Amino acid sequence: MAKESKKKAESEEAGGEFDDFMADISQEIAKRVESLDTKPKAPPVERKKTPAVPDAGLIVEWPNIADRMIEEMR
Amino acid sequence: MSVVNYGTREITCKIVYYGPGRSGKTTNLQHVYSQLPEARRGKMVSLATETDRTLFFDFLPLDLGTISGFATRFQLYTVPGQVYYAATRKLVLRGVDGVVFVADSQSRQLAENIESLQDLHANLADEGLDPRTLPLVMQYNKRDLPPGEISSIEDLDEMLNFRDVPYFSATAINGGGVFETLRSIASLVLSRLSAPAVKDS
Repeated sequence: MAKESKKKAESEEAGGEFDDFMADISQEIAKRVESLDTKPKAPPVERKKTPAVPDAGLIVEWPNIADRMIEEMR
Repeated sequence: MSVVNYGTREITCKIVYYGPGRSGKTTNLQHVYSQLPEARRGKMVSLATETDRTLFFDFLPLDLGTISGFATRFQLYTVPGQVYYAATRKLVLRGVDGVVFVADSQSRQLAENIESLQDLHANLADEGLDPRTLPLVMQYNKRDLPPGEISSIEDLDEMLNFRDVPYFSATAINGGGVFETLRSIASLVLSRLSAPAVKDS
């Protein structure tokens, strides 16, 4: 019995330093993670919308572009 | 090596104990290992020669469990201090996140301490790491030796601590200063966690 309690005491003593270390590290990580999560996010990039009426220079018929290029080169 | 991986929610830190031969690097890891609760005690890999000096390196994985949603692991390494294991030291330093420089407080070991510190700087530079900014703490070990045999903390700090980083006096043989040192380097490494960029190792 005495041996068992001594063993338990030794085990608790052995884990003591590690427990303190864990507590500090957990706190540090929690702080870091929190600060990273609350960092202001960059405003969303505004996407260019395709105009309803295409410009004269805007190529909208992509499937035919190769044919048109060949035609131009002739 | 990634310090933080948001994709897999993991934090992994590689800490290397550097210093001249017989300064107490392995003893630091052995004390940490001895303090680990049974459940967290993995395997400490230690390759020593018949004279108990580290031949290749020591490796102690510290699995700290899930903290704030992140599976957290610290990997502690030592390097062989002897001059002729230069290639091994360079290899162990690859991907390092923080360094503990374990200096031998004995006055007669001063030249070895300086040589090892210079070797550390050269090897970090070779690995593309900036020795001026990498998290570093100094540990002045063997403070239990007779006062006549050891340099004062002030003298050691003036001669070795060029960057004015945190320093600790230690008697690693009985655990003194070991966790204080580890806590300090862990904190410095964690303080560098920055943008949530996923950088895989």
